[in-house]
Amino acid sequence: MEKLIENLRNAVVAYNKEAVIDLANEAVEKGFNPVEVIERGLAEGARIVGDKFDNLEIFLTELMLAAETMKAGINILLSELPNEKMAIKGTIIIGTVRGDIHDIGKSIIANLLIANGFNVYDLGVSVPSLKFIEEAEKVNADIIMLSALLTTSLEEQKDFLNYLNDTGKREKFIVIVGGGAATQEWAKEIKADGYAETATEGVKLAGHLMEKKRRCQI
Amino acid sequence: MTSLLEVMERAFTGKPCTERDYDINIFSKKLKEIVKEYNIKYDPDNPVPSDNSVADNVFNAGFDFFCEVGSYFKDTGRVIQFSEDEIKKALKSAPSEIILGEGTDAKKFVSRKPESDVPPWCFLGAGGAPISSDEYLLKLVEAYAFIPLANSITIPSLTSVSGIRIRPGTPLEILGTIRNIVLAREALRRTGRPGLPIMNSLPTAQSSVGLISALHPKYGLRKSDGYLVAIIAELKTNFDLLNKVCILQNLGYGNGICGESGPVFGGFCGGAEGTVVTTIASHLMGLLLYNATWHLTFPIHLRYTSNSNPELLWVTSVYAQAISRNTHLLSAHLNYTAAGPGTIMCFREIAAQRLAAVSSGVSIESVGLGKAKHEDYLTPIEPRFAAEVASAAVGMKREEANEIVKELLSSYMKHISSPPLGYKYQECYDIRTGKPLDKCLRVYNDAKKELENLGLNL
Repeated sequence: MEKLIENLRNAVVAYNKEAVIDLANEAVEKGFNPVEVIERGLAEGARIVGDKFDNLEIFLTELMLAAETMKAGINILLSELPNEKMAIKGTIIIGTVRGDIHDIGKSIIANLLIANGFNVYDLGVSVPSLKFIEEAEKVNADIIMLSALLTTSLEEQKDFLNYLNDTGKREKFIVIVGGGAATQEWAKEIKADGYAETATEGVKLAGHLMEKKRRCQI
Repeated sequence: MTSLLEVMERAFTGKPCTERDYDINIFSKKLKEIVKEYNIKYDPDNPVPSDNSVADNVFNAGFDFFCEVGSYFKDTGRVIQFSEDEIKKALKSAPSEIILGEGTDAKKFVSRKPESDVPPWCFLGAGGAPISSDEYLLKLVEAYAFIPLANSITIPSLTSVSGIRIRPGTPLEILGTIRNIVLAREALRRTGRPGLPIMNSLPTAQSSVGLISALHPKYGLRKSDGYLVAIIAELKTNFDLLNKVCILQNLGYGNGICGESGPVFGGFCGGAEGTVVTTIASHLMGLLLYNATWHLTFPIHLRYTSNSNPELLWVTSVYAQAISRNTHLLSAHLNYTAAGPGTIMCFREIAAQRLAAVSSGVSIESVGLGKAKHEDYLTPIEPRFAAEVASAAVGMKREEANEIVKELLSSYMKHISSPPLGYKYQECYDIRTGKPLDKCLRVYNDAKKELENLGLNL
């Protein structure tokens, strides 16, 4: 098992999707504990990738490939769990708000979240508030992440939170705001659950808020 | 020149692919190959390199790259491509000068070369930064127009209209756009420079509908103004952007169309090498898809969301040399500082950015202060300073600029990841008189003294 976990970790770091699929299938065939394989193999590989991205040793393309590789492995291993939610850190809906077509920052955090074991639904750019809610309800999301790069699109984040409040749905979701135009003060003003300036901070924040949610549920 | 009809034809018949495939398997893959093939290497020791062959090599790489990957059309999921011959013809027929502005404020924006004695076009103001009130907008635009070196103005973006926050793609965007341009025109009239061109057309008007609402012959944007049409990072466009081009071309505003690009260092471009090649390709895309008469670029760091770090200064200098040595395209570089207004770090960043761009052969737009992110964090003294540094850099050897830029970098890089926020306009200026407060003026004078000590003749 140790060798397989090491190989899995290395395959994620090398964005080798085929190898990850083979190794994940091998783990299933051999009856290894899927949670342990995910945490020590895939997640550890993702951590290394995340560090490399932070240090600008790799860039967005490599991050996307690593995330796709990670996801392929997780899907195989999760199918073996009686309750697949045990191994994923949380389900996240992410997108750039309506009227704003900026994509890159949002794609980075989406891929970093996938690489870190979150189940992520990226709705793309210029996403209306209702679409965020509709999709979040459909997949029973834990977190909704809203990105806004334009000063004028920032207000959409506020409108979104107001809509959740006015429809009595605010407590259903954790809402994190980010993007070039958002700030900590803004997040506080509109009563978002969190703000992340960078993708790495966003991943940490999502993990932290999910832990908090789980503790509250216990 | 490629006609818009031809572009539309290709938008419906080009090679189909998903956006993910374009990003990963076409754009990124080819970019890595081209960087390797042309042996392009970032030089950390020389933010302003002087070797012409480096610049020419980067230009050729950018040219080949654009021929290979074209542009991605998001709404149809197709790649629009141009032949080598088409690109060469477009480069040949591109204007080497345009006249912008009206009356005594009309000026010629001309192409430059590295170390050129030709002054850069100084496009000064807010870099589209957000502003909270009509009063501040008026005062700021007045102050920008009073900068003697200003050839054109970039006005701030109002965030609300009559107390209601603006939302894009709604009537509020239209109302905000109209208010933005009416106030800016009034401010220019008050300063006695009513013909000064506005060239950021407008930050509030994100959509093509918003743009139309600003084109009022009496109060709005004019045929002598500049019009930014964005290139979506990286090398992408959509119908709404081409709608803007179509409106501008067919209503007689084509003289001022600009291909505006912001390649992202750390994104699909990868590092400095990929970013500089993409910057060249973005110029070609603006020319071929938008029939742009001029080009504005702001290669930007993914994490710092500014372009004053060594890698981005190198990108600025090398792209500027590559474009100005190999074409007669009219190109301006927009700088974003990490530090906010009224701080010594901000002035140092501006100086490094303007020296790199102007000594390397392009014009300037200045300045997005403190990442142009925080409402009201902008003052007129920084764009004035940027123009003064740009003016002092006219005719400067790249070697000389390189040495000063290195000194400046060593003074601010340790703060780049946690830069000072700086001060709001109302904290730096006397709103009534429109004059800078002593504390603000002191930092400006200190910065000028520092640069003079480094050998710059301000």
